[in-house]
Amino acid sequence: MTATIATPTECPRCGYESLQLLYSSPVAGAWEVHQCRRCLYCWRTCEPDRRTRRDAYPDSFKMTAEDIRDAPEVPTIPPLRQS
Amino acid sequence: MAYDDLRSFLQALDEEGQLVRITDEVMPEPDIAAAANAAPRLGDAAPALYFDNVYGFNGARIAMNVHGSWANHALALGLPKQTGTKEQVEEFIRRWDTFPIPPEWRDDAPWAQNSVEGEDVNIFDVLPLIRLNDGDGGFYLDKAAVISKDPDDPENSGKQNVGVYRIEAKGKRKLALQPVPMHDIAQHLRKAEEKGEDLPIAITLGNDPVISIVAATPMEYDQNEYELAGALRGAPAPVTKAPHTGLPVPWGSEVVIEGVIEGRKREIEGPFGEFTGHYSGGRKMTVVRIDRISYRTDPIFEHLYLGMPWTEIDYLMAANTCVPLYEQLKREFPEVQAVNAMYTHGLVVIVSTGKRYGGFAKAVGMRVLTTPHGLGYAATVIVVDEDVDPFNLPQVMWALSTKMNPSGDLITLPNLSVLELAPQAITPGITDKLIIDATTPASPDGRGNYGNPVRDLPEADEWLTKLRHLVK
Repeated sequence: MTATIATPTECPRCGYESLQLLYSSPVAGAWEVHQCRRCLYCWRTCEPDRRTRRDAYPDSFKMTAEDIRDAPEVPTIPPLRQS
Repeated sequence: MAYDDLRSFLQALDEEGQLVRITDEVMPEPDIAAAANAAPRLGDAAPALYFDNVYGFNGARIAMNVHGSWANHALALGLPKQTGTKEQVEEFIRRWDTFPIPPEWRDDAPWAQNSVEGEDVNIFDVLPLIRLNDGDGGFYLDKAAVISKDPDDPENSGKQNVGVYRIEAKGKRKLALQPVPMHDIAQHLRKAEEKGEDLPIAITLGNDPVISIVAATPMEYDQNEYELAGALRGAPAPVTKAPHTGLPVPWGSEVVIEGVIEGRKREIEGPFGEFTGHYSGGRKMTVVRIDRISYRTDPIFEHLYLGMPWTEIDYLMAANTCVPLYEQLKREFPEVQAVNAMYTHGLVVIVSTGKRYGGFAKAVGMRVLTTPHGLGYAATVIVVDEDVDPFNLPQVMWALSTKMNPSGDLITLPNLSVLELAPQAITPGITDKLIIDATTPASPDGRGNYGNPVRDLPEADEWLTKLRHLVK
């Protein structure tokens, strides 16, 4: 199998356009792992379109800036001990 | 037969015809997860899967579905692979009687062969990480044993913890880890964060098969998982001191990751397709900094697919969820005969019990809710008579059909605790819980018209033997 890796320009999940290259395949040119700098979604370029392309990414899995802002803390950070 | 590492167990699975080697090239996604999703559909004797030809990797080795059938679970415990489910639970109970068996400290762990530290760490260099389900936020580790100590009592080996938690790889030396508040590691983290400290942890992957079972067992806070491993193995569990943190870790692991949960820090994580068969939402989760990774040469990445039950995780937390609940109930209510908490890690619990007097079965049901595991699970408890086998669902359905009158046998308790992943909760973490009393009312509870039950004829056993012989 050979592949031409197209560099992604937006996050499939939240649409943010600032991405970072997290890892390149040990076999040169096979795939790359990218990460969104906002929602931290990670994907490998050779995954199916439903995981790698914004226009094919399922709406029910999409995330917005509000979703990230409002996400609950798990677990809640406790108060510091007084002593 | 006690296995000291994953490799010797994979060899045993191979010899028993319980390991399928996939030598054709596969894509990292979706092939490996899809195969592991499909494997348990083969039934109670489904095999483990071993991949060693994964596109884009040099020499990656990935083992999936290692515990993903009753046959493999039996072999992990050194039992014949044909051993039935209920028999495996009964044997687990017998071995629990020998708990605790202290671990054996060993030197020269095979994972000490190679290591990287500090800024040189890149988890992607060591592990062939893959995505499991479509909506997962990234690449997860979901079959690692995580070791930590109680920051207020670090010398107490009972309060140390070995548990399986969901972990997302978020950078070359950054992870997220989910400490469900009802689990022991959350108590450790809470204490560390109250003191303004980080929590040191070791994350061990590719463990011997009993370590995975005990790490997924809901033991009491001060019970030591390695001492249960010794009881289950019939031989002390081999452990050693991790080089960076000094934490006690399995001797036979493939990979040992050491670092800290950074105190008082949270960051967006997930979603992840969970054991409930639903995705959790995105949450702000803890952040782990990796300081050191030690690994065997050519490490095997053992991973677990989970989704709509049953998948491997359902086998991995079946018998080991039933037994501690049984032990805890039996301590106060010796009338308890058996506990089936195999469904979704005990979100449903079925208990069979004798009845001391009217109302007793309801008390047993309420006790289930206040066990340590019940605090986070046991959304529904079904109590049946002592002659009903809770592992025989047709019998349980018979009990529900004939013994349960909604007017007096459904007890709803409002606003109780449940783990936040339980999708039926009103607010995540809070749900109503239900006790269904499907036992025959006992005096002075005179409800119903039960008269004499129909019993098997005394001669039926003899005929069963005869018929089995005839149909062979």
